[in-house]
Amino acid sequence: MTDRGSTSTLSLNGTLSSSLTNGAFGDAPAVEIRGVRKSFGNVVALERLDLTIPKAAVGLLGANGAGKTTLLRILLGLTDPTEGKASVLGYDTQTDGVRVRERVGYMPESDCLPSGTTAADFVGHMAEMSGLPARAARQRAADVLYHVGLDEERYRLIKGFSTGMKQRVKLAQAIVHDPGLVFLDEPTNGMDPQGRDEMLDLIKRIHKMLGIAVIVSSHILEDIERVCDHVVILNNGKLMLSQPLEGIGTEQGDLLVRVDTRHDEFIQRLGALGFPATMGSTDELHGREEIVVRFDGDQVYDAVRDVAAEMEIALRSLRKRARSLEDVYIGEVEASEGGATGGRS
Amino acid sequence: MVAPSQPTSFDNETGRYGEVYDRGYKHYDGERLGRKHAFNALVRYSMQRALGLKKKWTAKIVPIILYVVVLGTVLILIGIEAFLPDTTTMSYPEFFIFIFIIEGMFVATIAPEMLCPDRRENVLTLYFSRAISRLDYVLAKLIATGILTLTISLVPVVLLWLFRQLLADSPLSALKDNAGDLGKVALTGTLIALYLGAGGLMVASFTSRKSIAVPIIIVGYGVTEALVSAVGYALRDQSWSDYIFFLSPGSLAGNLAYSFFPDLEVEAIPFEWWAYVSALAITIVIACAVMVWRYVPED
Repeated sequence: MTDRGSTSTLSLNGTLSSSLTNGAFGDAPAVEIRGVRKSFGNVVALERLDLTIPKAAVGLLGANGAGKTTLLRILLGLTDPTEGKASVLGYDTQTDGVRVRERVGYMPESDCLPSGTTAADFVGHMAEMSGLPARAARQRAADVLYHVGLDEERYRLIKGFSTGMKQRVKLAQAIVHDPGLVFLDEPTNGMDPQGRDEMLDLIKRIHKMLGIAVIVSSHILEDIERVCDHVVILNNGKLMLSQPLEGIGTEQGDLLVRVDTRHDEFIQRLGALGFPATMGSTDELHGREEIVVRFDGDQVYDAVRDVAAEMEIALRSLRKRARSLEDVYIGEVEASEGGATGGRS
Repeated sequence: MVAPSQPTSFDNETGRYGEVYDRGYKHYDGERLGRKHAFNALVRYSMQRALGLKKKWTAKIVPIILYVVVLGTVLILIGIEAFLPDTTTMSYPEFFIFIFIIEGMFVATIAPEMLCPDRRENVLTLYFSRAISRLDYVLAKLIATGILTLTISLVPVVLLWLFRQLLADSPLSALKDNAGDLGKVALTGTLIALYLGAGGLMVASFTSRKSIAVPIIIVGYGVTEALVSAVGYALRDQSWSDYIFFLSPGSLAGNLAYSFFPDLEVEAIPFEWWAYVSALAITIVIACAVMVWRYVPED
């Protein structure tokens, strides 16, 4: 049963020599969700999600209660959706739950390591629990612990490990069986800045260098921006956004407009034309206030020009500000809570 | 993150200090043995942990002492019977009653070790994300506990039976003639092992702390025995008072053993063997059902 007969090796100058292709598990996307709804009694945790997640490094964003954990549990085949279907690496999560778990890795957020065992023993055991023969499991455990930076410490008891080292063990057990997809739940939780930095580098390597698809669930937007190339935002069980991270800064930016006078009237007139604007951003270079207009396409430029012409005031500056992931996230959540329906995919 | 391995010695031909190799990361292209292998791995690992293997000596000491006591007893009995041929030291039912307390202590040691650390340290999260189901987890723990309990419940009595046949004037004939006894002790030992193991696991499944589970199992057996004996004695004139002793683990095990060897009864056993087998089987099924209920997801 060979899924991937390739090796991926990082040479010392940092280049990748790999015969790994994106079609590691055929052409199936990492995750495919169709009409998935999950409710617990009267509480709806997920509301009719339709989502396709590519084999990439994907950030799963959402506040507490957004439905991230429920979604992960469904994708791991640990709970069935109330309605709809989900597949992971081409396997149906309801009928092939065990097969799914054989082919994916999971790094939980919480502490989950047995304190009285060594890292090598435990990671080897977890490899066997994913179906690897005992000898291969021991070998893989040693290799993967080396890979995550725990070579010499692997024969020490886990109870003596720092938080950062425990996170590495958790990561090692998630990739020891060479999964096609890894779910990482808050992987930098509780780590100091240096440890966090190293963990993010490791995660980036897992996808970029090893070719393993990664889904990172996190509250820390900066982490997502740093390691992911696709983002999925959930809020109140609804899908708000699913798109490549690359396009977010340019597609979803704000327009910053500076006029000398009559700001309120300017904002009001823009609003009347259907372009919401607020006062508030400060030009950091000159210390002057700017009007922030939500950029929804090139027609915004025309509207700003027309309003300035009607008011017979001068446009001092007009510039586009790329929105950070945080802006997008907050914008999507606010839009959702303001009554917007459905999401974009 | 990828550190080079140590350079090798100086090479005169190339004028370089060997080569630096990077172990890199290799994708696994070997066989994947699936759910059955994962299940077996969990059984094996659980048994190792429960016996304290690859742990410090304090984790091993209690199981070792209990094994020594039981096997030592067998050796002493055999020794006495070897040197005093006409002496019968202990009948099989008496031996089962004798080792019952030791078996109880053994289960109180291993059953919490099987379940409590996984729950306390949240390792269940990882197990349930692997190639097994929750039911597999429960069954693996039951089997691991059953196998270990059999080693202290069944192995010594089988050894006792075997040595006794070997001590006979005609060992081969004795082996053949007393094969029926082997079947009886095997069934008795197996049922008692499963009964104690399932009961111990059921108690352990309710707590994540070994320090709570161990005394509850030990005290639980003791208190149950005492209560049942007291109530049974108080109600001894009632016609139905014999049924109360089905609630006593010790009485149940002893009566089961005697019901298979009616010739050795010291006092009359009130019910047939099948009644005791049924009572043990029902208890085992209930304990298993409780465990499944404890580990099946609520949604």
